[in-house]
Amino acid sequence: MEDGLRTRPGEATLDRYRERWEWDSVAWASHCINCYPGNCPIRVYVKDGVVVREEQAGTFATIQQGVPDMNPMGCQKGAGWSQMLDGQERVIYPLRRVGARGSGKWERITWDEAATEVADAVLDAVEELGPESVIAPSGGNVGTWGGAGRGRFFGIIGGITTDINGEINDFAPGHYLTYGTFDPVSSVDDWFHSELVLIWYGNPNYTRIPYVHYLNEARYAGAEIVTIAPDVSPSAIHADLYVPIRPETDAALALAMCKVIVDEGLVDERFVVEQTDLPLLVDPVTKRFLRGSEMVEGGNEEQFYAWDTRTGAAIPAPRGTLLWDGAWPAIEGAYTVQALAGPRRVTTVFELMRQRLADYTPDRAATITGVNAETIRTLARKVASKRTNIIGSLGNGKYYHGDLVERAEILLLALTGNWGRQGTGVRGWMTGLFDGSFTVAAKTKPGPEDVVAMLDSREKALQARLAEDPTLTPAMVGIEQAKAASARGGGGMFPPLFFWYNHAGNAKAWERPEWSDPAMTRPFADYFDEAVGKGWWQGVDYPRKEQTPRVLVECGGNVIRRTRGGGRMLLENLWPKLKLVVTLDVRMSSTALQSDIVLPIAHQYEKIAFSTPTTHTMHLTFCDKAVEPPAEAVDEWEAFRRLAEKLEERAKARGVAPYKDARGGPHDLSGAHTAYTRAGQFVDIEMMADEMLRDSSITGCIEEGASLDEIRKRGFYRFQSLGMSPRSIAQATEPRNDETFVPFRNHVEKGEPYPTLTRRAQFLIEHEWFIEADEHLPTFKEAPAAGGNYPFRITSGHNRWSIHSLNTASSLMLETHRGTPHLVMNNRDAARLGIADDSRVRVYNDQGEFVVPALVSASAYPGQVTMYNGFEPYQFPNWAGPNDVEPGMIKWLHMAGGYGHLRYWVTEWQPSAVMRGTRVGIEKVAGR
Amino acid sequence: MAVPAKPPIRQMAMVFDLNKCLGCQTCTVACKTLWTDTPGMDGMWWNIVNTMPGLGTPRDVFSHGGGYKNGKPVPGRFPSQADFGEAWDFDYEAVLASGSERGEHLQPREAGGTSPKWGPNWDEDLGGGEYPNSYFFYLQQVCANCSKPACLEACPRTAIYRREEDGIILIDEERCHGYRFCAEACPYKRVYFNQKRAIAQKCISCYPRLEAGVAPACVRQCPGRVRHLDFVDNKDGHIYKLVKKWKVALPLRPDFGVEPNVYYVPPMSPLAFNEQGEFDESESRIPIDYLREMFGKGVDAALDTLQVEREKVAAGKKSELMDILIARDWNDLLGPFTGNPATIERPPARTP
Repeated sequence: MEDGLRTRPGEATLDRYRERWEWDSVAWASHCINCYPGNCPIRVYVKDGVVVREEQAGTFATIQQGVPDMNPMGCQKGAGWSQMLDGQERVIYPLRRVGARGSGKWERITWDEAATEVADAVLDAVEELGPESVIAPSGGNVGTWGGAGRGRFFGIIGGITTDINGEINDFAPGHYLTYGTFDPVSSVDDWFHSELVLIWYGNPNYTRIPYVHYLNEARYAGAEIVTIAPDVSPSAIHADLYVPIRPETDAALALAMCKVIVDEGLVDERFVVEQTDLPLLVDPVTKRFLRGSEMVEGGNEEQFYAWDTRTGAAIPAPRGTLLWDGAWPAIEGAYTVQALAGPRRVTTVFELMRQRLADYTPDRAATITGVNAETIRTLARKVASKRTNIIGSLGNGKYYHGDLVERAEILLLALTGNWGRQGTGVRGWMTGLFDGSFTVAAKTKPGPEDVVAMLDSREKALQARLAEDPTLTPAMVGIEQAKAASARGGGGMFPPLFFWYNHAGNAKAWERPEWSDPAMTRPFADYFDEAVGKGWWQGVDYPRKEQTPRVLVECGGNVIRRTRGGGRMLLENLWPKLKLVVTLDVRMSSTALQSDIVLPIAHQYEKIAFSTPTTHTMHLTFCDKAVEPPAEAVDEWEAFRRLAEKLEERAKARGVAPYKDARGGPHDLSGAHTAYTRAGQFVDIEMMADEMLRDSSITGCIEEGASLDEIRKRGFYRFQSLGMSPRSIAQATEPRNDETFVPFRNHVEKGEPYPTLTRRAQFLIEHEWFIEADEHLPTFKEAPAAGGNYPFRITSGHNRWSIHSLNTASSLMLETHRGTPHLVMNNRDAARLGIADDSRVRVYNDQGEFVVPALVSASAYPGQVTMYNGFEPYQFPNWAGPNDVEPGMIKWLHMAGGYGHLRYWVTEWQPSAVMRGTRVGIEKVAGR
Repeated sequence: MAVPAKPPIRQMAMVFDLNKCLGCQTCTVACKTLWTDTPGMDGMWWNIVNTMPGLGTPRDVFSHGGGYKNGKPVPGRFPSQADFGEAWDFDYEAVLASGSERGEHLQPREAGGTSPKWGPNWDEDLGGGEYPNSYFFYLQQVCANCSKPACLEACPRTAIYRREEDGIILIDEERCHGYRFCAEACPYKRVYFNQKRAIAQKCISCYPRLEAGVAPACVRQCPGRVRHLDFVDNKDGHIYKLVKKWKVALPLRPDFGVEPNVYYVPPMSPLAFNEQGEFDESESRIPIDYLREMFGKGVDAALDTLQVEREKVAAGKKSELMDILIARDWNDLLGPFTGNPATIERPPARTP
């Protein structure tokens, strides 16, 4: 071909594409729907009043020299978010059903009509059964204004909002048992410091897309990556070692590693002595700590002892510090102490633990776990010699005995000194930090006066408490206050245990002993009644049996999709009791589909909001209103304001008298709107967002001079301090602007006590139920066969393609895979059952069934099937979703209370329904 | 201005680090929302990530011919629409708002109402081998702006040209008559056909962005920090160092003979197990023969170099190679294209 034949490049073509990459304006954004950790700063590009696309900002500065920056945080959901704004699943008008519930027949109504129906239903419920019959199950997409609006609205009514962590079960009970909080969280950039990363009960390549680069970069910086999982998980592909393990035997692996470390003399004794309860003295028969009340007249029940090797005597463990002030406690041995009642034979917790570890030789653990004994030894030695970081994705707590795995993992890290310094630790999820979101919720008027007064009274209360007991820490005082508020019924949330047990239908499964741990010696109901009867859940054990739910308000969640036990269980047990179901959502979720009224909510980019503030990213990230919401969609604060306005109007018209809720709190719905808006002062969310930022400058969690105008220019602030909330303060590290964030440094570096009974990382839990269950120390137990006697274990996991269920039915995301939910199963299992790839299978057990196409993979563990969660039930035939086979068992021990730190506060100690490891049968069915 | 047939003055190139890719398709979505979400283009995925070993996009991606063997063009074919995967439709109305009462569930449908049997990422996370030694990695594909562009040579309309300033290969859509010889000739099957307009279309390397000093969307939006971008001749740049100096970045299917300007850092993989269930250090989990087929003979040395340099760093020594692959400053991945689209000075937006 000759040059002369070529033509000048077509300018028309060139210009056509150049014009596509044009816009009228740019706004800052993030996806503020509790995408966790989320906080990706995004720029949104608007043309002709429509968001045409979005792109990660990429403007983070380097935090710590030598550590990669956080750019360009984002993922495919975020990159395609704008497609959902005009997606076919979008709801833009108030709707009322005209057919049966779930029929999908709707009529458009006005906001006024919708609000009237809701207000009258609420008033009916309050008059019939009391405010506890109005319920809002928490969900993961609640966001800034859903949380604020629903919280204010339910506070005015006195209704029940279930605890978000109990509902979604991102709780880590084993962390809580050990640390007194479940949520130590290092910043994602800290992963880069690790020398050994154990990806364990997690799949970050799916669930931590914006941050996984830190693991791969750590690998290039010399770290080893080890993935421990039954399947050759998508997060195994960039590991150096992949360790296949029999499902739900991970505690045995961790304990065998602990045994190797103890036997080979690799224990970090200083760390163990300072940070843990392992040196404390314990009666080997009763498994109870030696206490002050046994040692001296009038002694403190919460005074514990150690054996000082230097003086050869029992000494009281200091309560105000972890440091031993010249003493050096023994971690091993048996001793005789002079107690009030005479000589007592005691030993150390470490000694008890060592005896327990005798059951976990690598050879025996190999038979339990399927992991080669030599591999166990190799891994143990690596942990003992390297900065070790366990990356789990909130997965453990979703298994029946996940708490035992967590306790064993933390023991492994304790023995090797692997927390409280860079590149180490376990993690949960945390929020807090953003003081303004709390202060604005509590303020009586705009302006700085209220927040200054709050700071002042908080400081006075803290100082008064510290004067009473100087051994306390600010974190302990904050947690104590939070627990006390909950016990008064004023914590704002209620563990969902009582809603589920009394009303949702879960009790049927829980009462099947063969689906629970055989260590339960009594029926489930006995334990439940004992827990309630002893007042362990005082103030939060609502709704009671007689408080039948009448109105259900779904905002920011999808209870039909999410509830363990299944949507079908709710439709059969709960729905018939409900006089009104109202869903506030951006789209037609499965719950919206089963509602009587659906209210249209403004999407991301259509309202201002803040992302979930967390130490995972240490940034407060902002979403601006780039475009107007479509048709009649409004932000949640405005939606609840309209409901409050109508509630006030109808309460006055109906002459509803002031009343008290079951906890004694007074309510007067004839002033609902006045209370909601603080007499008209809090209506505009722009003003409220500005207040939140200004208040946060005053409390010091973000820099001085913060304002809405300023964050609109820069998109985010970096947190300067942990702020006021107890969950924040319990991270126990002062953040710095030039360092990755690592929790628990004050414990490890300064000897600050932990918020547990013993004020140490606590491995011995002497609660009588735990002793009865032989779980007073970390151990391994086989998981009960919940669901029935079936050959497969179904596990789930957060999917790659959606944040909760929000994006699962988005066509763009569906086009990036097979467009349907799919069940991952092993190729040999499939062949045995005559199941071809992409053919339909029926998944069934004694709880329920669903039908789904199989995805046949050589990477799946034989005998295990994986159903990544989040898909809408209406993406399955007959709208039967995978939750229908999940009995949603709870572990009875998690109802325990009345012991040390085992007491509810919001998002913390409580039972949560598990779903992974459920037993199912699989069979081929016709069709796709 | 005549179109240069001679090599461009400068060649833009990319290196994709397969050890960092997590298969999230952010690049794919970034591309989709920018260029191919209009009618006629809805089945196009100019950028796609596929699980390998696998059939790829289009199905059996590397078996449709094209490219060169011993300097001679290899006959190729244009894969069928079924191989590319049709654009899917989801009938939300039927499920959510027409009273189906569980009779309908949301699922993809092809134009004729049939259920799809294939799509652009159909075999996601499948790969090869048998448990527990199964294996896979993610392979990203865009137009490779080849130095011996079979598409360009195959076009009888001379509608395909290479830009002097950056070596990008583009289709003049006004000249294109939709013969699809280019699509047959491309051995990577990165050329799509727009049924509505009856023209060939493919990845344009986001040239409007490059012209403004901004990296292509797939590069700039990659959260895995997989993609390095630069001119090949910048001896201080990542491309030169990874491709020419350290030789750890390799062309895909070099046997296709088109000299692509996209290179890949080959995947390291976890140790496999022997029959006793012990780690087997003698062989790669991903069969080395497969990697040689994919990335050529240089793959052994590249993997060795990666291992040696990793060990060096683990022993506390410095490694230029590891520093490049880590890319502590994200902007270092972008070569000279570090412009921020939100703040760049742009020519007047649209002519009113």
